[in-house]
Amino acid sequence: MVPLARRNLSAEKARFALSIAGVAFAVLLILIVVSLYRGWSNVGRFYEQLPGEVWVAQPGTSDPFHSTSFLPLADDARLARIHGIAAAAPVYARHIAFTRGGKELDVFAMALDLPASLRATAGRYAPARGRIDIDRVLADQAGVEVGDRLEVLGRSLVVSGIHSGGNSIFQTAYLNADDARAMFGIDDYTNFFLLSLSPGTNLRTAAAAVTRALPGTETHTSAQFATSFANRVNAGFLAVVGVLVGIGFAVGGAVIALTTYTATVERAREFGVLKAIGASGAFLYQVVIRQSLIVGTPGAALGIAVSVAATKLIRDAVPEFITDLRPVDAAGVFAAAVLMAILASYVPARRIERIDPAEVFRA
Amino acid sequence: MSTPLLQVECLSKDFGSGRTLVHAVKDVSFTTEQGEVTLIMGPSGSGKTTLLSMIGGILRPTSGRITIGGIDVTSLDRRELPRVRRELVGFVFQTFNLLESLSALENVEIALNIAGVKGEAARARGRALLVEAGLEDRLSFGAQSLSAGERQRVALARALANEPKLLLADEPTANLDSEAGHDVMELLRTLTETKGHAAVVVSHDPRLHEVADRVLRLADGQLAPPAAVEALSGRP
Repeated sequence: MVPLARRNLSAEKARFALSIAGVAFAVLLILIVVSLYRGWSNVGRFYEQLPGEVWVAQPGTSDPFHSTSFLPLADDARLARIHGIAAAAPVYARHIAFTRGGKELDVFAMALDLPASLRATAGRYAPARGRIDIDRVLADQAGVEVGDRLEVLGRSLVVSGIHSGGNSIFQTAYLNADDARAMFGIDDYTNFFLLSLSPGTNLRTAAAAVTRALPGTETHTSAQFATSFANRVNAGFLAVVGVLVGIGFAVGGAVIALTTYTATVERAREFGVLKAIGASGAFLYQVVIRQSLIVGTPGAALGIAVSVAATKLIRDAVPEFITDLRPVDAAGVFAAAVLMAILASYVPARRIERIDPAEVFRA
Repeated sequence: MSTPLLQVECLSKDFGSGRTLVHAVKDVSFTTEQGEVTLIMGPSGSGKTTLLSMIGGILRPTSGRITIGGIDVTSLDRRELPRVRRELVGFVFQTFNLLESLSALENVEIALNIAGVKGEAARARGRALLVEAGLEDRLSFGAQSLSAGERQRVALARALANEPKLLLADEPTANLDSEAGHDVMELLRTLTETKGHAAVVVSHDPRLHEVADRVLRLADGQLAPPAAVEALSGRP
């Protein structure tokens, strides 16, 4: 088959290159927005990394970040007696605002009173007294490194560790449980209990046993807290993401449509010649669709390649912007770009329909 | 007596209506046999191109009938006309109308692609036609880099690509110098004889008389009587 579509486009090399760049830019915009959205949706996943599977809370708690809860600390003894519960760790959690170098900072602080059996494997969540473990984003914002001191709620705490994480929405810090009780002023209470189950214990059965043993409480799994967190983030950002993705597709579609339309109009006489020598409508539409795909397909592929590089760059340079570029999203955007290219060929195809083959007899 | 390859009967074409009504072609009838070159002469605006467009299925006649190889093309549905143009007729235009972004060979190949012949089969046939047209050393040349005579030869090869029964040429020498024009018409004559199709050439170039088997004269959309044509052409 004669590569007429490619020749028509490559006759104007600069325009062709700019069109591919335009589509690539649109795909880049879409994928960056989608990968940020995916990243934000995942920020609640830190609940699932903590040493425990089931949370005990006061009724009406969405997740520790968005709501608080108070439970008698003495309930830990009743929890420990429930069959299948290996450990019940009191968890203290609240937002703390503090000033560092004249900068107002806010951190979501948690303290896990882990039993000795869990300290060996999950010790990083339970620093020693007078110590604090913070995430990288907070460390950068506060301008501190390991060994520096932070003044928090009237206490001077030594930064004992900096863990990866933190994002543009919130930062996390882990305190010692004794420090937290004193700092938060809740000696006989805890905010939550985080339960570790014995191997083979059914999660639902254990949760039901807890609510029977502690009436007036409710249980959540770590995964439920993560999902609840994601839903709240999504509710806030989904509309914005939808608008930006829509703009991205509109820009990409317009670039393809304009390029294909221009290439078609410029060669209207040649399309008339093809009609005059017997080209069917299907043959001509095929040429126009190919023109669109020749712009759309490499443009989308380039956009994906640039997005992969850009998300890596963002991760390294601006860690608070959490990006999660998934192959399934890239594949979806590529397929959508191909579909967009086909749709964008509608206008030029209609233009071809109106070309009168009799025009070719005019000198 | 065999049926003529082309039969034009009482063909008319009107444009506009009421006060703007123009009778571009009026009651034209003629026939062309296989292997015959029919030259239709006439001044600008005499209806030559309109007549050719109707024969080629590009314009619909107001009345009358056109039969090519026994097929009444005037009775065909509008959607069937592209098939007539790619299978029954081949066009040669005054301005060559090659596709500028393609090479000489690709210009012939695309006519075959349109008819469903693709790949090596199309390339081989295109190559053979261009060799017959004396362009064996111009196959990969871009259409823009060919001389006017070479372009018209490519256009002739393209018109013959799908082995049409009828070749229609609109002022094929108008944009050529006398030598190139002569060469193109000689080629058209030779190919018409060897391939056994028929050719209808419209022109106002009197040099074409020498390659025509028959000359018809069109004036104000009507054919002149045979005697007048013979006197004009100088042929008995």
